Amino acid sequence: MINNPKSEIQNPKSVILAGVGGQGVLLISELLARTAIAAGFDAKQTEIHGVSQRGGSVYSHVRFGPQVYSPLITPGQADFVLGVEKLEALRFATYVKPGGLIIVNDYEIIPRSAGAAADSYPHQSIDYLKEKGLRVIDIPATKLASELGNVRVANIILLGALSKQTSLPQQVWLDILNQRVPERFLAINQRAFALGQEAVSQPVAV
Amino acid sequence: MTDTNTRQEMVLGNEAIALGLVEQGCRVATAYPGTPSSEILAGVVKYKKQLARQVYTEWSVNEKVAFEVALAASWAGLRAAVALKQVGLNVASDPLFSAAYIGVKGGFVIIPADDPGPHSSQTEQDSRLMALTAKVPVFDPATPAEARAMIENAFILSERYEVPVILRPTTRLCHAVQSLPMEVTPAPDGEIPSVKFNKNPTRWAATPKFRYKLHVELNKKLADIEAEFNQSPLNYVVEPIQNPKPVLSGAQRAQVEGSKIQNQVGVIASGVAFNTAKQSLLELDAQIPILKIGTPYPLPQKLVGEFIARFETVVVLEEPDTCIELQLPERSRIRGRLDGTVPTAGELSPEVVSTLLAEVLTGAGYKVNPSLDDVELQTLVNSLPLPIRKPRLCPGCSHRSAFYSLKKEFGLSAIYPGDIGCYTLGSNLRAVDTVVDMGAAVTMANGFYQANRLVGDSRPIVSTIGDSTFLHSGIVPLINAVHTGARFVLIILDNHTTAMTGHQPTPANNYLADGSEATRVASIPNMVRACGVNFVKQTDPYNQETFQEILRDAYNHSQAEDGGVAVIIADRPCVLYDPSSVRDDPLPVVITEECDGCRYCVEAFECPALVLRPDKTRVDIDYKICVNCGQCIDACHKGFIIPEAIANEIPQTVASEATL
Repeated sequence: MINNPKSEIQNPKSVILAGVGGQGVLLISELLARTAIAAGFDAKQTEIHGVSQRGGSVYSHVRFGPQVYSPLITPGQADFVLGVEKLEALRFATYVKPGGLIIVNDYEIIPRSAGAAADSYPHQSIDYLKEKGLRVIDIPATKLASELGNVRVANIILLGALSKQTSLPQQVWLDILNQRVPERFLAINQRAFALGQEAVSQPVAV
Repeated sequence: MTDTNTRQEMVLGNEAIALGLVEQGCRVATAYPGTPSSEILAGVVKYKKQLARQVYTEWSVNEKVAFEVALAASWAGLRAAVALKQVGLNVASDPLFSAAYIGVKGGFVIIPADDPGPHSSQTEQDSRLMALTAKVPVFDPATPAEARAMIENAFILSERYEVPVILRPTTRLCHAVQSLPMEVTPAPDGEIPSVKFNKNPTRWAATPKFRYKLHVELNKKLADIEAEFNQSPLNYVVEPIQNPKPVLSGAQRAQVEGSKIQNQVGVIASGVAFNTAKQSLLELDAQIPILKIGTPYPLPQKLVGEFIARFETVVVLEEPDTCIELQLPERSRIRGRLDGTVPTAGELSPEVVSTLLAEVLTGAGYKVNPSLDDVELQTLVNSLPLPIRKPRLCPGCSHRSAFYSLKKEFGLSAIYPGDIGCYTLGSNLRAVDTVVDMGAAVTMANGFYQANRLVGDSRPIVSTIGDSTFLHSGIVPLINAVHTGARFVLIILDNHTTAMTGHQPTPANNYLADGSEATRVASIPNMVRACGVNFVKQTDPYNQETFQEILRDAYNHSQAEDGGVAVIIADRPCVLYDPSSVRDDPLPVVITEECDGCRYCVEAFECPALVLRPDKTRVDIDYKICVNCGQCIDACHKGFIIPEAIANEIPQTVASEATL
């Protein structure tokens, strides 16, 4: 276990979180940024509100480290791309840097726009990313969340998986989760977070 | 996070601006909602309560009103602010230009949020250019923390020179989240300062003769402000940490031997582009000085001129248009939007900035880090037909029901002028043909009627406008249309709130910005009648048959000899704003197993909860998002969408369960 995350993280870490409106992308972005700050880092986050909330793609950029100038991430610069939905993970795959990691929910939300768009959903996107030689962890987070009793915690399962890949201290993650999640949902969120951590306890296949 | 002396909190950029306003003693804050500015006034309400400061807050009926209410407070001697989006400043441009000449008393800060991209706007216009035309000084913050701090500078400058001042954030600042110390600057005065409006007609009600004098005075103020900006700590040079060491080829080295190669390239940046430039130069490992401009208008020419003189080439990065670049008297060394180095449309994303900086630097003989972008992967991903996710009306949205009836009644040949709000998404249902700006549903219908009459085009004209938008700028056009004898149907989609921007109240709500009670509530039907409309019907679009009957009556009225504009008020609250109306009277439906996947309902009703199976064999209801409004029953003309209660009575019909 790393005792001093500051010595571990010299360069800023860049994370893109993407999904569909209603999947809780902004919540896990906020939890990540808060955890980084609570661990003593500078962190900045940016997101897009507005029309995108009505069922569109939602994404957020988070950067944390000793000093952060801008949260905006360039393609090829992200340490992590976390996709709460497969298509959205693929959409942002070009942001991952060589050696970076894509964490993706093995779950599809077919765009409901009528016509040809719905026919072109890339169902094989995870295999595709792996074939490209990218480091990809796929987790059936929505399925696991459903088994836990609430599909809405899929995002927290993925955050748990991400937490194992950063050097931010476990206790800080848990403290922030306790602070930010309403009490009546806390127990299931804690279980979801732990489940996400367990899901990546095995070594990551490259 | 709370263990140090200074408590830190994660704060949205708009909230940082609000905190700055409240802690600096702003006494009157007004706004009309519009992305990306909407959280500013909500933030003022939050912090005035938290800090127990006396601030009058108002969601005004439109931006012109918001501007003038705050302006009057300033003339009465109080610190005041108005928050709006960039196109909202267009609406408030009349008082903006006049206020610049007349000036202010109490500090007056105008906060127009620009939207490079654009992400949620009809234009990418630059409010700094509006400021330049109106002759109003501008502060251009780069981060939430700087925006909060600049509020103090803005109030002080406004009071010192008695001018209105603009603080201009952009989407990426408004919606950025940053950790800020919650230690609050004590108010300049604990209580409301004992000031009052002092009469001075030659100033406050100046005639053209005095306006000339005021213009001369304004020019003098701007010259003094420019001199002050030359010394301002908000404009500063970030020198590179190490000495620049460009790596040159032999030939290049020979060419620049003994010359000022270490000063080949400099960058001038303002707003969010400053952060992006710093980050990009870090990633490129290029040691390049940056002149950070916090006050782009009036441009501190001396400071900027001295910086430019140090370099062969200076790149100017600003959003969304040219303000700094435009003010430079001599641009031979300047690389920016005007010479095509910087794209003239779209956001200055880090990839855009990195690419253009790498090109300029490489061209000047610097060696920069290669882009980490995996070109092969990018090409592959870009070549995939990744379907986009179009924004759509929510399940249960009453607008959908209205649009569905409208299309059923008038078909696709009718002309459907639309307006700005959630219901702009009626375009998905092909029931919105034009979108111009706030209130244009009424004026465009008026104009189409007159034009069609001349050319003999008899297609029905049916406009849609929201309640908040009608109150904002639909009333005056309606008076005009009635008076000039136009004939069309206007549907006011009254969902009881300003839904798109986060449910801000309108004058038709019984509460105010801070939640206190509004004792006088506007009646939309009465207002419509007062505009001279003889056909005014208020009805619930959920009752589709009745609604369609009224649509027919309305159209007949618009065509009758003694008829004119007919107005229908489609009255049903937004399901997100008031879920109780659907929750208390649910009509759950099922799709029978006879469904053949013809996708008619998916296209005609366009509800996100109606999902065509990937193998196209049938449509399922996504019960995770379905709100049980039952509005889609009519959308299956084959009768396969039926109430759950009826399905349960017919044992042989096995109701399909959602499999998603």
